[in-house]
Amino acid sequence: MKNGPFLLLGLFTALGVSFAAIVLGAHGQLGRLTPFYDDAESQAYPQRMQGVAARGQLVYADLGCAACHTQQVRRPDYGNDKARGWGERQSVARDYIHQPRPQLGGSRLGPDLANYAARKPTEEAIYGLLYAGSATHPSYRFLFQERELVGERSAKAISPTGALAPKPGFQIVPTERAQTLAAYLLTLNNTYDYPEARPFVAAKKGEEPKK
Amino acid sequence: MTNVPTNAGSAEVTALDSQARGPLLLLLGSGLVWLVVSGFLALITSIQLHSPQFMADCSWFTFGRTQALRDTAFIYGWGGNAGLGIALWILGRLGGYPLRGLNWSVVGTLFWNLGIAAGMAGIASGDMTGFSFLQLPRYVLPLLVVAYAAIAMSGVLAWSGRRTDGMYASQWYAVAALFLFPWLLCAAQAVLLWWPVRGTVQAVAASWYGQAVWTLWLAPVALAAAYYIVPKVVGRVLPSYESAPLGFWTLIFVGSWTGGRHLIGGPVPAWIPTMAVVSASLLIFHYLVLILNFRVAFQTGGTAIRFIRFGLIAYMLAGLAELLTSFRGVALHTQFTFFSTAIEQLGLYGGVSMMFFGAIYYLVPRLTGNAWASAGLVSGHRVLMVVGIVLSIVTLAYAGIVQGAGLLDDKTTFATIFGQIRMTLVVNSAAQLILVTGNVLLLVNLVRSACPFTNERPATSIFRQPSKLEAHAS
Amino acid sequence: MSTSPQSDPRVDQAAVTDESLLAVHEKLLGKQPDEKAHYRLMPLSLLFIFSGLIFFGGTYLGRFSGHFSPQVYNEYAQPPKSGVAAAPVDPLAQGKAIYANVCAACHQVTGLGMAPVFPPLAGSEWVTGSEERLIRIVLHGLQGPIKVKGVDYMGAMPAAGPGSGFNLNADKVAAVLTYVRKEFGNGAAPISAQKVAEIAAKEGSRGPWTAADLEKLP
Repeated sequence: MKNGPFLLLGLFTALGVSFAAIVLGAHGQLGRLTPFYDDAESQAYPQRMQGVAARGQLVYADLGCAACHTQQVRRPDYGNDKARGWGERQSVARDYIHQPRPQLGGSRLGPDLANYAARKPTEEAIYGLLYAGSATHPSYRFLFQERELVGERSAKAISPTGALAPKPGFQIVPTERAQTLAAYLLTLNNTYDYPEARPFVAAKKGEEPKK
Repeated sequence: MTNVPTNAGSAEVTALDSQARGPLLLLLGSGLVWLVVSGFLALITSIQLHSPQFMADCSWFTFGRTQALRDTAFIYGWGGNAGLGIALWILGRLGGYPLRGLNWSVVGTLFWNLGIAAGMAGIASGDMTGFSFLQLPRYVLPLLVVAYAAIAMSGVLAWSGRRTDGMYASQWYAVAALFLFPWLLCAAQAVLLWWPVRGTVQAVAASWYGQAVWTLWLAPVALAAAYYIVPKVVGRVLPSYESAPLGFWTLIFVGSWTGGRHLIGGPVPAWIPTMAVVSASLLIFHYLVLILNFRVAFQTGGTAIRFIRFGLIAYMLAGLAELLTSFRGVALHTQFTFFSTAIEQLGLYGGVSMMFFGAIYYLVPRLTGNAWASAGLVSGHRVLMVVGIVLSIVTLAYAGIVQGAGLLDDKTTFATIFGQIRMTLVVNSAAQLILVTGNVLLLVNLVRSACPFTNERPATSIFRQPSKLEAHAS
Repeated sequence: MSTSPQSDPRVDQAAVTDESLLAVHEKLLGKQPDEKAHYRLMPLSLLFIFSGLIFFGGTYLGRFSGHFSPQVYNEYAQPPKSGVAAAPVDPLAQGKAIYANVCAACHQVTGLGMAPVFPPLAGSEWVTGSEERLIRIVLHGLQGPIKVKGVDYMGAMPAAGPGSGFNLNADKVAAVLTYVRKEFGNGAAPISAQKVAEIAAKEGSRGPWTAADLEKLP
């Protein structure tokens, strides 16, 4: 190779083509997806996140929860996401169109959270795990405050027991960040069945379309 | 100062190198500092994997953030600084003239490192973006692009003003890395952070960037070093060199299409992961050309060659593993597990970093005009690296397989999986400790070698005079 | 040229100069034939492998790309024939939702109504009987006295058809009527959207019916 400009041209073509095909191509296909309007329920899906949940997603992102939890369910015949109760159907692009920063994640050191709210967790259980942690889950005690008990106990205050119990005359209250995070987790519910998410029924032999 | 031999044209240590000494040693030195920082962070994350409560209550070091900090320090701190230093030096050497614009590169290096440090502080304090390999908050990214351009400029000047008209494989690879990265970074930050695309398109763009950082930036620098150093040290023409251009263009054109393998079964249309399978299979050709070209690397020893040999093998194994795990039937068992971490470690540490080490061992004596300060530290570093890398990859891969089997059985709880792989992860922590120890040895050796007060012998007594390469059928 | 032994691990000796490295390799890429007049472009075996990989890639892409459709998430699937096939709406499910929104406030969720204003739907001869009358009531509303299951009711039912406050289209009217004819132990035949549309077109926009008007119809 002698030609400098030829090399540069080739390099930029390569980068441009791959960017255009993959990123812009996907954007062209999925960037303008609309919510799906269900006639039967007179309701559009997915539903918008409330402001507090959208803020909670930023807390989820900046703490790096996605390092251990995915938010993408695979289809029932691929893996056993369904058997684990993570979702009846596979996640599709439409599930995420209202999310400012989808947290698909790439590692499963803990359960998938795409439909966490559908499993009906309580807010107290979330705070409990965040405060105390478990053998497999780190604690996030900096999301809580130990406050002096003045007057009535806060409605949000949690009651850990044993060594973690607050000093007498004190209460442990989730901070605003913890509350938005819990609000976010409690909205994770993508159970609506979109047409493109329906399982594919394999065509019978012989009917198989030609390549 | 270094003795400049009279026949500067063909000599092994020339005025070219002594002028570039300060700026390039600054790049390599800061790269190594970041590598050690990243090593300590990797140690913390690996401990958090088996003891989740370790440093958990310190908000700066939650597992997610430590992992992001580790990757950032590794990719941008170590890969960026050291890669630029190596690419600049090779382009200068092959250009045949002293590097120009090095003042800019020093300023650029300072700001590059400043930007990374500020970005890492941002990640630790809650501004992490959450895209893998692009966790840096958006406010430092424009600075990084400008700083990168300032550093890379002298390499581009050396390339465009080269003495001979033709170009050697090292030059293609180095120029590709220098040119493509700023465009890559600009494109990715535009669609992810400044004008974010919608929904899962973000995941597609992030996987594209994560793959391209590796195939269009770090791997080309490492291969540039291999293409330069292997024939220089072995003294043989690279066999089947006429296939090298096609191998190069395969990597450049196809390499960045394989990012979709991270999205198998995910909420993206089927063609995106399928495209990744196809591109990963086409890359076989690239690896095949490398095998043909670098057969000669097994004909001789020496520090640099040993590192590069290990690096090349790891690079190809990583490519093969990427191909296999991009098939859906295999991904079913390896996706979302430590197995993907193992492949990443194999490519980035075993492949790219080992070739970088080889290049550093080769070029630092030529910059300082003196041999490395300590032979013990050199071989100590090499042994620790090999042991640490092999151990960490084996443990991670094993943990990944166990984890994958556990995930596929819906009766197995996460606590059971955790119990099964806990000891393996403890061994992995030991491997990380070995790696960081090894890199501290290299840093100490570099500081001692670059220290201007070590006693200097004339360069002619250190470096043998190279002869002319003879073309013969190989 | 022999390989130089690397005796000192602290420094790697170079065997050849940069200039000759560049020159020799550059010559290999030159398109001149060598001494034996062979062009050395690429070994034939490599060319075979390269075309083989491209063939494999093309085949795989054709088979598993789902025709690059944004609707296809399963690599074995083909894109739907005409865009997104809208899910066939179950009229009973749709009718139930509409009933809950529109009708249940007066006729109650149980369909029992509330004497003496809101007549029951359960077991009502108006519901299970003539389609013609029932559709008209929902389309345009009903005013004045009406006798249901032998009891007199006096009320005013607002229109729910197109152009009314509820603005239900023919599909939805049919769905909700199908639902009330099926539910509450009624078990009458479903009503088609076609029939509803027919009547809506025939009557145009008009005020509410009276029971007397309706009784003139079949």
